[in-house]
Amino acid sequence: MRVKILTVDDSKTVRIIVKKAFKSFDCDVVEAQNGVEGLAMAAKESPDIILLDITMPVMDGVEMITKLKSDPALKSIPVLMLTAEAGRENVMKIAKIGVRDYIVKPFKEEVLIDKVSRVIDLRPTGESAPVQKRIDDPIDILVLEDKPAIIAQIKNGFAKTPWNIHGVASTGEAIDFCQRKVPDCIIISLSFPDDAAITLFRIIRSNAKTKYVPLFGLSVKTELDEQQRAQQAGFSTIITKPIDFGELENKIGKAVNLDASGKYFAIDEAFLTVKLPSACNATVVNEVSNYLKRKTSEAVDAGIAKVIFDTQEMQSLNTEVVKLLLQSMKLCRDLSLNYALAGNSKVVSESKKFEESKDWDFCDSVEAARSSL
Amino acid sequence: MQNAFPITDPELETIVLDAVGNVFSTMLDIEVSLVLSTEVNKEKHSNGFRLPLETDQILIAGTVGLIGKLTGVIYIFMDLSMALNFTGRLLDLTPDEIESEGHESVNDAIGELTNMVTGAFNNDLNKKGFQCRMTIPSILRGSNYTIEPMEDAVRRIFKFDCEGGSFVIDILIKEENTFLKYINHAS
Repeated sequence: MRVKILTVDDSKTVRIIVKKAFKSFDCDVVEAQNGVEGLAMAAKESPDIILLDITMPVMDGVEMITKLKSDPALKSIPVLMLTAEAGRENVMKIAKIGVRDYIVKPFKEEVLIDKVSRVIDLRPTGESAPVQKRIDDPIDILVLEDKPAIIAQIKNGFAKTPWNIHGVASTGEAIDFCQRKVPDCIIISLSFPDDAAITLFRIIRSNAKTKYVPLFGLSVKTELDEQQRAQQAGFSTIITKPIDFGELENKIGKAVNLDASGKYFAIDEAFLTVKLPSACNATVVNEVSNYLKRKTSEAVDAGIAKVIFDTQEMQSLNTEVVKLLLQSMKLCRDLSLNYALAGNSKVVSESKKFEESKDWDFCDSVEAARSSL
Repeated sequence: MQNAFPITDPELETIVLDAVGNVFSTMLDIEVSLVLSTEVNKEKHSNGFRLPLETDQILIAGTVGLIGKLTGVIYIFMDLSMALNFTGRLLDLTPDEIESEGHESVNDAIGELTNMVTGAFNNDLNKKGFQCRMTIPSILRGSNYTIEPMEDAVRRIFKFDCEGGSFVIDILIKEENTFLKYINHAS
């Protein structure tokens, strides 16, 4: 998937300059002209990074990033501030609100590209992209952590995946490992003394073979100083303990650019089945939504005209899922695809509580749904 | 220069030169040279002061305000052909493309240039201990401007040459909050 950059600036000139800077890279640049539009675009486009101006009408950059950080679906999107004001007071303010880095105007394109490429994987257009791995392909994750219990916990947390977890206890071992085999992702504990994690980060980034490997920092939730230092150094993302393995799996999948559509979509001879998991939070809904158009197009190309929306495993129905299903059904109608819903008794009962879904017909099994089409 | 103003003439000139030079070389790849630096006040210019831009074209001015320990406004005046030149360089557009976009692209480009120059100027003020915030930019179009500040504001004019033409930075600034008295626009 191409990386996506959202530029939020009231100046069309700056938005044009940003677009121009990334013209020769394999990425999409989307725009917004104030904080309100920026939040809407961030929710709609799920960008990999946001370039954000501070002084804007309607909603300024500080307010936008505050709202971004309070939204569970958006808070992990890294933000680079673009500002003409580099005074100490301004820098302290933006450092506190959790930006990854900042760029002072005026700026050369090379500086912008350099700072962005420390955060996301920017590849020149035409450079052969690595073959995309799927969510059920084995990948190698290197974990640098001096506490064996944490390494064991991570291995356990990913036991149901085909991922190989390699634990090492020192930066030397980590470097040796990377020389033998380039991992797909590296998780580094930030608790090593003397900023060893950041030193290792720089070593890994300076090596051509490991330059693009996503680097995650692992930190205790309350250690905000070390997290901020790591973010400013350029770590792709910070994982806090206690570890939420569902969230970590999603983040690794995204960082390594794994095709996760297989978690939700299956195409057989006659049907496209969209299966929603038991816990459908905003992240899951976003992920399904991102793949929806591509997978329905694949189905149409394969001559398939029937779609099953399988909600049987869902524990409950929420507004985000209702919106997702509405969007999906509309897409089916636009593409002249017949569709049917399969749901459990709880989902059926909860669907009656929403105006948009109260008239939906559910089959009580996937087989019944297939037969109905 | 007013005795009360906390920044000396040479310091102010250096700040302006650094700001303009940095922005123009970074964003436009243009070297500028300062050819005139003058103070405007009622004693020296009792009959008013005409901007040192010899042109029969309309003028375009980008303007950004400063508010804080120092309060004031910065204008960048240039004629239309200079504005089109800067816009073309900034946005990588040909004159025909700029024309098809209309006033908006020129206004936005000059506004952003003014924003950056004022930002660089402000950053140096901050380093000297004068914390100020900036307003969003706006654009004036017309000819024969006169600007008359409050009596205790300092006004300095800096004229720069580049690309076969000139532009002028007009700074009005004082240490306490004040407002411009009015802007006269003579037809």
